This record gives sequence, C-alpha cells and structure tokens, in this order.
Amino acid sequence: MTISRRHLFKAGIAAGLAVSIPSVLRAQTTPTAGQTVRMVKGDLRVFDPIWTATNITADHGAAIYDTLFTLDSKLMPRAQMVGKWGVSNDKKTYTFELRDGLGWHDGTPVTAADCVASIRRWGQVHPGGQIILARASDISTKDDKTFTISLKDPLGVLIDILADLTPPCLFIMREKDANRPATEQVTTNIGSGPFRFNEALAKPGASFTYDRNDKYVPRKEPSDGLAGGKIVNVDRVIWENVADQQTALAALQAGEIDYLQDPPADLYPVIESDPNLELQVLDKGGWDMVLRMNFLQPPFNNVKVRQAVLHLIDQKAMLRAAFGNPKYFKTVTSIFGDTTPVSNDENTGWYKEDGDPEKAKQLLAEAGYAGEKVVILTATDWREGDNASQLLAASLRKIGVNAELASMTWGELSTRRASKDPVENGGWSVFITSEPDYSLGNPLASPFLLANGDKAWYGWPTNDEYEALRVKWADVESLEERKAVARKMQKLWWDFVGDVRLGKYVSPITRRKTLTGVIGMPQIVPMWNMQKTSA
Amino acid sequence: MGNYILRRIVSAIAVMAMVGVFVFLLLRLAPGDPAAMIAGRNAPPEAVAAIREQLGLNAPLSVQFMRWAFSILQGDFGTSIFSGWPVLELVAQRLEPTISLSILTMILSVTVGVSFGILAAWRTGRPVDRLLTAFSAFGYSIPVFVIGFFLIYFFAIRTRWLPVQGYVPIEVDLGRWFVHLVLPTVALSLGYIAFIARVTRASMVEVLSEDYMRTAAAKGASSYAMLFHHALKNAGVPILTVIGISFAYLIGGVVLTETVFNIPGIGRLVVDAINNRDYPIIQSVLILTSGLYVLINLTVDLAYTLIDPRIRY
Repeated sequence: MTISRRHLFKAGIAAGLAVSIPSVLRAQTTPTAGQTVRMVKGDLRVFDPIWTATNITADHGAAIYDTLFTLDSKLMPRAQMVGKWGVSNDKKTYTFELRDGLGWHDGTPVTAADCVASIRRWGQVHPGGQIILARASDISTKDDKTFTISLKDPLGVLIDILADLTPPCLFIMREKDANRPATEQVTTNIGSGPFRFNEALAKPGASFTYDRNDKYVPRKEPSDGLAGGKIVNVDRVIWENVADQQTALAALQAGEIDYLQDPPADLYPVIESDPNLELQVLDKGGWDMVLRMNFLQPPFNNVKVRQAVLHLIDQKAMLRAAFGNPKYFKTVTSIFGDTTPVSNDENTGWYKEDGDPEKAKQLLAEAGYAGEKVVILTATDWREGDNASQLLAASLRKIGVNAELASMTWGELSTRRASKDPVENGGWSVFITSEPDYSLGNPLASPFLLANGDKAWYGWPTNDEYEALRVKWADVESLEERKAVARKMQKLWWDFVGDVRLGKYVSPITRRKTLTGVIGMPQIVPMWNMQKTSA
Repeated sequence: MGNYILRRIVSAIAVMAMVGVFVFLLLRLAPGDPAAMIAGRNAPPEAVAAIREQLGLNAPLSVQFMRWAFSILQGDFGTSIFSGWPVLELVAQRLEPTISLSILTMILSVTVGVSFGILAAWRTGRPVDRLLTAFSAFGYSIPVFVIGFFLIYFFAIRTRWLPVQGYVPIEVDLGRWFVHLVLPTVALSLGYIAFIARVTRASMVEVLSEDYMRTAAAKGASSYAMLFHHALKNAGVPILTVIGISFAYLIGGVVLTETVFNIPGIGRLVVDAINNRDYPIIQSVLILTSGLYVLINLTVDLAYTLIDPRIRY
C-alpha cells in the first residue's frame, strides 16, 4: 500500500483536529477548574516579605507564612501563632507560648527559636521592629514552644507593633532562613502558613501556584479580619500575571480568571454592566495621596511657602483629576488618615472646599518668594499621580510660582528623590506619592510621619517638638492616651506643614460573582476563606 | 563553505561581545534603581541603600562589568536581581512560547503570503490583484494590538470559541497548546502576510515578464508549471530573504502580541526586566537574541545555495 502526500496531509489535519476539538470545547465550557481560583494581582518579583516592603510580596507572605499576632476586622491585635502570652508586673518582660500543631511545610515543627530569629531579622528593617530591638535587653527561648522579650523600659505598643500590617510584616520563617541578614533575600519559600508554594509550577513573570496546606491547623475562633481560623476552601490558587488590564478584564469576563486586582477606573462601567462581575472595595481605608516638599532647598525651606501650598490645594479637584469617579475618593484633613483610630480634626482650619488661592498668594508674598524654580517630579507610569502633578503645576503657576514638571518613570523618580542638591544640580522641590491610610495611623511605622530631618523620609521635614511627641507614642498604652498625643502632633504638623495631603482613594477589586468570601483588610489580600461555586 | 561558516561564527561572537558592552553601558547610564524598586515604593532611604550594597550596585562600573563578563565567559548568565532565579532557567521557560508562536506565525504567513503574492502577480491589474493589494495595505497598517483586541472580542468574549489569553505548554496538552495560539498567530500573522505577499508579488511580476517565461508559455507550459516550476524558483531569493528577516524579527518582536494575549514569552520577559531594571536578564537575553539573529541570517544565506545554484560561498 502506498501513501500519497495528499493522504498524509489529510490524515495530519484530521489528527490535529481530533486532538484539538476537545480543547476547544473546554475553552468554551469550563475554562477554570472547580476548586482552583485564578487571581490577577500583579507581578510577584521578590519572594522574601522582609527583604521588600511591596504589597504583593506581603500577600505572598500571608499565604505561605504565619504571624505571631495579627489584626481583626476592627484593626485590634489578636494572637495567631501564639497560644498564650503574658506580661510581667513591671511590664518589661513579655512571655509567648506557641499554640499546638504548628509545622513547617517541610514537615518539621515550628519552634520558639524560629520566632526569635524571625523577630531579630524583621527588627532590622521594620521601623517598629527597630524600636523593639533598641529597647530589648534580651529576646530568647525558654523551651521549644516558649520565648520571651525582655525590655529595658516598658513598651506599651509592643503587641501592636508585632501585629502591624504595614509591610514588612512579621512573618515567621525557619530559623535557618531567618538567620540570614535582612539585606539578603530568602528564596526557599517554606513557611508554616495555610498555603504551600508550588515551586515546580512557578513561572516567574507569568504565574505562581499555591496549594492548600492540608496539614495546617487553624485556630478555633471564627475568621475575623486576618485573625481567627484560616480556613482554606479551595485546593489551589494560581496568580496569573496579565500585563494588559484590558486582556485581564476580557479573561475575567470569559471566566478564565476569577479575580482582578485594581482594574483601571475607566473600565468600571464595563465591569458594572456585566452581570457576572462585581466591584468590591476590600481595603476601605484606601490610600492617601501625599505631596512631599523638599525642606532642604528654596523655596520650601520657608514655612510660609509650605503653608501657601497647604492653603492652595483644592483636594476635590486633585482627586477628580487623578481618579475621576467621586464614588471612590474622599477628602482627608488628618495626618493620621481617614479611617484610623487616631484620625482627628485638630488644627484643620486651613481646609476649604475649593482651596484658597488668595490666602496662598498672600503667604507667598509674606515669604518673600522671589521666583525660585520649583521642580515637580512626576512619574508618567503612575497615571493618577501624573494627572495630579499636572494640576499641581498649573495651580502653582496661577499664583505666580515658577513651577516646572520633570517627567520620568517611577524608578527614575525613586532615584532622584534621594538627591538633597539644589534643583539646578539635579535636585527636586516636590513630588506626589501615596501611602495606605491604615499605615498613617502608626507614627512609629509610617515613614511619612517622621520629622527628624536627615533621618526622616524624602523631603526631610524637621520639627523637634513634634519628634519628641512621636517618640512618646511608643510609651503610651491606652487608645485614649494615643488619641491625645495624636491631636498634639497634628496641631504641630499643620503649623510647620510636614507635608500636604491631597485626599484619599479606594481601589476596588473585581471578581466573578462565583468567587465569594474574599477578606477585606488593609495592605493584605489573604487567600483563605475564599469560596468558589460553579457558574 | 566550511571557512565561510567558521568566519560567520567568529563574527557572531564579536557581534555578541559588542552587544554585551553596549547594553551594559546603556543600562547603567540610564536612570532608575533596581534597589529602590525592590525595597518598595515608600521604603526608607537606608533600606534602599542596604539592598543596593548587597546587590553590588555600588561598585565601580568597570568592576561590575568585569564580574559580569567573567561570569558570562564561564557560562554563568547570573540570576535575576529580583527573584534570585537563574537567568538561563527563566529564558528556557520563555523560549517555548515565543518559538511556538513564531513558528506558527511563519507557517501561516509564508503559506498565505506567498500564495497571495503569486495569485496577485498571476492576475496583475485585475480585481483580485487590487483586492489583495488593498488587503496588504490594510494588514500592514493595522497595529497588532487593534487586531488582537478585535479577535478577542469576537472569538473569545462574544462567541467563546477560543480562549482570551494564556499559554499551555505543548508537552502538557497539544490540543490546548494549539487552541491558545490560534488568535495570537492570526493577529501577528496579518502584518507578515501583507509584507510577504507584497514582496512575492513584486518579485514574481518581475520574473513573469522575463523572456524565458514567454518562451515557456510559447512551448505550451501549463500555468501551474510556469508559476511554480519556473517563476517561483527564480523569484525565490528576495522572498527567502524577507522570510528570514521576518523570522529573526519575530523572535524579538512579538512583545505586543505576547502582552495582548498574555503569552509568557521572551518579549515580555525582556520588557518586564527593562521596567524593573533587572540588569542580568536584559543583558543575557539581548546577547542570546543577537546570537540567534546571526544564526538565522547565516541559515538564510546558506539556504540561498539550495534555490539558486549560481550562489557559492
């Protein structure tokens, strides 16, 4: 029997179709397996949640690691890995005992030594952790499950710091991983959390797979915020990195993915019109936009000029320019954010609905402003910030400020903002950024609330009186006392104008309605508690 | 022939070395700091400084270059600054999607493009020629992302016939591999079909007007024999050149298609690395890509001898 080329060609096509048709059908009917959740969250580039402070790595950390303490839905600290804990009468020694059943993904048990090493490593990089290390006389194990933190002086906020959600959070790692310096990345991805990182299926830049840790023993209490039992209801969660948001939305509409983080605002109408999709605000605190001014160089080394900007800003106009949809933004007048327990209205008389350009002009004149160039750094790859910067430049020019925009990428901005030189030598005057509203409630953790000059965050604000109050924060124990300190701090801040707030915004996520139970908390999107039903 | 191939390989190494120096300097002189990106948007300056020191980015440029060059010479392409994964492993993961897409695109483009070109040349000046010329202009002018989203809308969202995005490795499921590549292949091919069709048409029109073609027609040769045995073989060199260039361009130029259809290929690897300032990845991929370009060009040059016996090296 002879086979002609034509026959061979036909047979080839038939075989190809036979193989691919079932897949075509799968593409139409069940693009996502029943107990696998597919999420588009961004590009996980770094695995060590202590080495970096990025939110996506904190999400990765929350999946595979566990924490000693965490916060409930009311943002109050609650024990998580810790079973029992207590403090001595002199309030200088804290004793912690781990709860039963904690084990690493490699099968070994979690020990107190792991916790001590993790606290020491995290304490090198977390501002609150640095305070603990500075004040600790000893951090050591008592036995396999018990460890103590002994302090030179009482530290009223110790448990709050251990539970803090501002990355880098205190994720507990194996001792041999945590013994590495905080400046070296841990890439083993072995934790004791409710999910195991599937190394074999990891495709950096494309997708990462997390499998349910069947050996995880959750707490008995019901889930509440990040506290309580971490119950995993799905077998697997896959993080897809879809670079194009339009494609990601199309995939969500087609049911190929279940969850899309931070869809662009111009796609909200499309999402709202799709009966299978839902927009949901997980972090109700959102992010506060902040305008940082360079205290070291003219004209912002003059408090009157900083006050002029404070009075000039029309927050609603800024937010409209940046985000468009008023449903997702709000004005903010407290330096401690809008939703934190210490947010307050002290010394906020400067706020006016449309800003106060006349007052700003008057303050500029009083400052003796002589046309010094104001360079506004703006990152074009952060569209919202860039829009706000454009409006800021226009507003400043209207009151006679010689404002100039310097457009660049965020990466370039990150480099240039470190320069303390005059603008003529590559320095800067102003840039806009944003900070989670939640973080602003903790002046020990948020770099935005420092005013200690050279040691402060970019802009290097200085005010000794304010700093003395900020340091005192660590010693106060009750919320009422903290509120009182917060009011005093805010009064000073708005007088010397440590920075200017432009309002806050919330970024809803989008999910298919078949995915429920996504926990809404600041900073972290956990993957436990989620449930997926078939369409 | 052997000497020629050896000379080309030596020149390829020289090209790769020059690319290496150029890319290294370009990246280091461009603004941006990977340490700042690792540390996070609002990280304190001291955290950024510590990471920069740990990554060796504070060392003088010459020292950084020598370290990198010696590693490359030893076959060590380094690790990603961000993930810590070996660069060669990352490249290997991304090669299959890009090569799969490129090969399918070339098969479709060459098959359809050459056919359209021959048809248009055979019917020069007639409606079918004008139609195909208009199609070429259209295919060449429409950006791939416009075609991509158009295809996604109709074939993935409206009809649900095909998946929107993603890639399934060929060894996992041949059928799903093919299905996931249908839309990106069609989107990417349109421009190449137009390009190859135009070159084929021009080359064929020129050959069809030669005296020997008239002689063949006078001897009673069939249209099929004239077009495929006589004309196409003689028009083949420029067509092959265009195909070779297109294939080389495809390997590095599929980034838009990979982005629109979320295919984790080499193009996206490089673009993500550039955005992140992940120096080892950018440097290594560009060196390897330049080597691949030279290899494809060499293959095309050698292929000339197969279709034109007058060419000798």
